[in-house]
Amino acid sequence: MEIKETAVAGTLESSDIQIMISKATDGIQIDLQSDVEKQFGDQIRQVITKTLNDLDITAAKVKAVDKGALDCVIKARTIAAAQRASQTTDQPAWEVL
Amino acid sequence: MDNQIVDLYLSNPKVKRDWEDFLTSLKITNFSANEVDQIDYTIGIYSGDDLVATGSVAGNVLKYIGVCNKGVTTGSRFNAIVSELVNRQFANHIYHLFVFTKLNYSDSFQHIGFSELAHSDEAAFLETGSPDVNDFLTDIPRVDDQSDKQVAGIVMNANPFTRGHRYLVEQAASQNDLVYVFVVNTDASLFTTEERFQLVKDGTVDLDNVIVVNGGDYMVSYATFPAYFLASPDQAVTYQTTLDARIFRNVIAPALNITTRYVGSEPLSRTTSIYNDVLTRELPPAVEVKVIDRDQTLTSDHQVITATQVRQFIKKGETSSLTAFVPETTAQFIQNHLTTLQKRIQEGMNIDGN
Repeated sequence: MEIKETAVAGTLESSDIQIMISKATDGIQIDLQSDVEKQFGDQIRQVITKTLNDLDITAAKVKAVDKGALDCVIKARTIAAAQRASQTTDQPAWEVL
Repeated sequence: MDNQIVDLYLSNPKVKRDWEDFLTSLKITNFSANEVDQIDYTIGIYSGDDLVATGSVAGNVLKYIGVCNKGVTTGSRFNAIVSELVNRQFANHIYHLFVFTKLNYSDSFQHIGFSELAHSDEAAFLETGSPDVNDFLTDIPRVDDQSDKQVAGIVMNANPFTRGHRYLVEQAASQNDLVYVFVVNTDASLFTTEERFQLVKDGTVDLDNVIVVNGGDYMVSYATFPAYFLASPDQAVTYQTTLDARIFRNVIAPALNITTRYVGSEPLSRTTSIYNDVLTRELPPAVEVKVIDRDQTLTSDHQVITATQVRQFIKKGETSSLTAFVPETTAQFIQNHLTTLQKRIQEGMNIDGN
């Protein structure tokens, strides 16, 4: 899957995470802002990276603002943002869920 | 339900009064027409009949954000309002947003993903989204060994590019290894952004060490310095230019190794004159400010060259007077597009501002 435009999913409210994905030339760069960065920063980055890899996305710039989201929420928001960014919302990637 | 967000239609006098009363209670009191008229839409949260939170958007700038935290978790209404504004802007494909706020709210915005570009004693200026200032800086062309070079910067609207602009660029080019000319990006002038940019490029094409760059949202833009485009009180000009100057000093200049900023002396425009004063106060010692006197020998009868005067010539169709004021490239463009430009003036484009 290829990132075609900037897209976003999620909100800034408690227990949610806002994920913005935009184009990048290579690699997945994650800019994470979280109150629990120290405890769960690596875990959050890992969930985002794995979800993107499962979607065959190898290059993307991700900006994530976490408000204490659980892994399932992070995954769901990442998939939604990625599908919007790659203009594939009409073909949900069920297998990644 | 808690935090139910509704649209507020300020065209309704009762809604507008409630909105102003609520913001006034939070010490936000500037409801001058040139601020309020810019608003695209406003949202709010009610608790019973009372407005308890609100926020507005004007273009890519969030404005008039005010929240009462009484009886709820601190931050929850603020996050709800900003989330909603940000998401609506994203849905409109505006992915890059700014906010001007009082300094004590800067942290609240940083907490939800905004990053601060500059602050003064009273105000802070933040951005979120993509492309951000780092993307902007990465895209600017560089030369080899730039860190060892003497680099200067000039910011101009060039509406249009005159012999005065040309003189300023020449002075800078002769005194430095490299000169960046940043052309104001905001499209609110007689000449469109594209036209202004092209005229600066054409007018400096023979100067090898000049790079012409679009100033983006960071240099004299509608976001950083609205007073440049709208008549505003001196105090507003000072406060906005202070932030504009600090962005240049803290973010732009270090990334490009710019150590000198050139400006033209400003005998005629009050706004630009305040801007020059503020630059002279804010930029040194990190960035030296060189004020170049307008060279009145450029015209035969020793007039001060201004783009304002050039626009008057266009309005009156006096193209023969142009050659003393603008380089050949600009004169040619005006000749070729005279009717289009005059039409824009007739349709109400203000040509007396900056």
